[in-house]
Amino acid sequence: MINVQEVSKVYPTRFGEKLVLDRISFDLAKGEKLGVLGRNGAGKSTLVRLISGAEKPSSGKIQSSMSISWPLAFGGAFQGNLTGVDNVRFISRLYRQDFEKNLEFVEDFAELGPYLREEVRTYSSGMRARLAFAISMIIEFDCFLIDEVGAVGDARFHARCNLELFEKRGDRAMVIISHDASYVRDHCTRFGVLHDGRLEQFSDFDVAYSEFRIKIGLNAPKGPAKATLVPENRKQLIETTHTVAVRDDAFLMLAREADWQRDAKNWEKGESLYLDALALYPYQRSYWGQKAHCAKELGALVRAEAAYRTACALGEPYSELKRFVEPVMKKQEVSPKDFPVYAYSGAKPWDHPPGIPDIDLFALALWGEAIPDDNEVLRLLRQHRTCDALLADMIADSRFVKAAGQSAPLAPADQTNVLSAEKKSFQKSWARNLVIISQPRKSASIDVPSIIKNVEESRNPWAILMEAQGFAHWPLTQAALQLRNG
Amino acid sequence: MQSSIVQPHPLKESLAVQVRVIGALLIREMLTRYGRHNIGFLWLFVEPMIFTLGITALWTATKSVHGSDLPIVAFALTGYSSVLLWRSMPGRCIGALLANASLLYHRNIKPLDIYIARILLEFGGATISFVVLSVVFISVGWIETPEDFLKVVAGWLLIAWFGSGLAITLGAMSYLSELVDKFWHPTSYLLFPLSGAAFLVAALPPFAQEVVLWIPMVHGVEMVRDGFFGSQARAVYDVNYIAMASLLFSAVSLLLVRYVSNRVVPG
Repeated sequence: MINVQEVSKVYPTRFGEKLVLDRISFDLAKGEKLGVLGRNGAGKSTLVRLISGAEKPSSGKIQSSMSISWPLAFGGAFQGNLTGVDNVRFISRLYRQDFEKNLEFVEDFAELGPYLREEVRTYSSGMRARLAFAISMIIEFDCFLIDEVGAVGDARFHARCNLELFEKRGDRAMVIISHDASYVRDHCTRFGVLHDGRLEQFSDFDVAYSEFRIKIGLNAPKGPAKATLVPENRKQLIETTHTVAVRDDAFLMLAREADWQRDAKNWEKGESLYLDALALYPYQRSYWGQKAHCAKELGALVRAEAAYRTACALGEPYSELKRFVEPVMKKQEVSPKDFPVYAYSGAKPWDHPPGIPDIDLFALALWGEAIPDDNEVLRLLRQHRTCDALLADMIADSRFVKAAGQSAPLAPADQTNVLSAEKKSFQKSWARNLVIISQPRKSASIDVPSIIKNVEESRNPWAILMEAQGFAHWPLTQAALQLRNG
Repeated sequence: MQSSIVQPHPLKESLAVQVRVIGALLIREMLTRYGRHNIGFLWLFVEPMIFTLGITALWTATKSVHGSDLPIVAFALTGYSSVLLWRSMPGRCIGALLANASLLYHRNIKPLDIYIARILLEFGGATISFVVLSVVFISVGWIETPEDFLKVVAGWLLIAWFGSGLAITLGAMSYLSELVDKFWHPTSYLLFPLSGAAFLVAALPPFAQEVVLWIPMVHGVEMVRDGFFGSQARAVYDVNYIAMASLLFSAVSLLLVRYVSNRVVPG
């Protein structure tokens, strides 16, 4: 039995004291598995450190009649210039265990071969993880603390970890912390949500999860957090979007829910959840591929092909997606020979191949209406090798006239007339993305964030972009505009 | 394995755990520091031996003035070995906790264990170096056998005790402020000539004697020399003084370690 009573933890910071855990209490009996959900920085790891005894609470008490492990799969205690064998020997000595027996187990489990006798600093992160996990398994604790297993290693390694942990040691107590809700769902019997230092407890995963959703702010979406640094062009936008997206809990959560639906073969639900995730980061390439898979399973060939093309255009390697794209095109009785799939190249931003989010933005700016239907999107993607060509073609389109005649920007106060762009674009930060792609000329009079704000509030975003000298470097676009004006 | 916190352990059991933990840490520390390359852990005492030999050679060559009839070799051996003893302990303990904080995930390892392991290692290295060099010098006839062996041991242990208290105090303080590390280096160098390594107290003018006798290490070094040479030179020291200073540092160090243990954040 572990008994946590009114435990608080305060860290001193330069800006005063920070309360990380606030009077947390719970019991954990033998065999119970508590899963704790919480966003990054919620204090999950602090909680685990306190239970492990590595750190002491600022107030409150933690009592235990069980032996408690160190946080699992954690390799920090390895001394880089010791060998794997030395580390096994150290742990064996420390916990008074039979070294020979332990070494045998580690050799067998970690599969490091001769590397076990090499210094740990020569290991890859995967090897380190295997050694760490194997060493964690040699001591038979009553309670295991598990902190984000699964950051490294391949599927086989995970399967073997799960076998050791949840099958062979299924009778032990466990505390599992993760922001991967599915991991917690699959392995825990009790659930907790850690937020603002408080721990709320649930016996049912779905209840806990919906609480977690609310805490993460998913049910009251605010859009992605304002990044302080705006990418300079489309290239930077694409290349930074993954790093930003994976730090956004709201995005991760939607993507994960979409994965669950996909794994459960709920293709329709999956596709729409992937789109929800992509609405936050439309230039996140890998999820376009996932969305395409769902559409393909649903038989929506047009949507599938468009999404596959988008994934490739944003940088997914075509060789990976070829085996999906080709059958999808074949069923539509076309071949990649007729309509090649354009791959991302890091060249000049206007020469990038276009994807669905670009059509969405351009249509919004030029045509002032909802994105074209699926068939037209696919037609545009098939036809145009570069963003520049796409934009020039859309300028030449007759729908441009209507929008171009629209009035100048409205005063922000005039809410009724503001272009309800958010309803028309699937992208949550469409104005930002549009302005970034247009690459307005830098001038002292107006900075990029202000342009974004103006675009957001205007009925005629195109006029604002032209005023800011957006798309100035795009040769075909400039030619098409001249043709229009002349 | 014991990790129950509900009922306190009998002392005997706790002691066994303590010994096991420190033993494991010692071996780990030794492997980490010296590895298995070339002469491996022999460096533990070869390194201080080289230091002492170097100083001995240097002082012999320059015919350093130390104010007595003692052979310069004997003077350097006792003086510099003592310096290595009290100076290396704080050197190894400063920053030790930060570097090893991840070890605290093992329930039985406490910050004090980390310090003790390092101190024992330093003590071992300095002692082996001192003993080996003494035996060599005695056997080649450069110095005489100690007149009072037990007095040498007692003096040596007093220096070690003082060094340990100082080491843990500075080690714990270094976790709270990195200034400790910055100040320790210059301080330890300045203390070296003042610590009794480079002079005999009796050879100093009375005023200087009064000043240097405030420095606890001086008493230890004098005692070691008294044991070694007794009749050849007059030693000035007060066992009570160095013992009280060591006791004080030990008490302070334990309080500090307790304070730090409650605040340490394992990496």
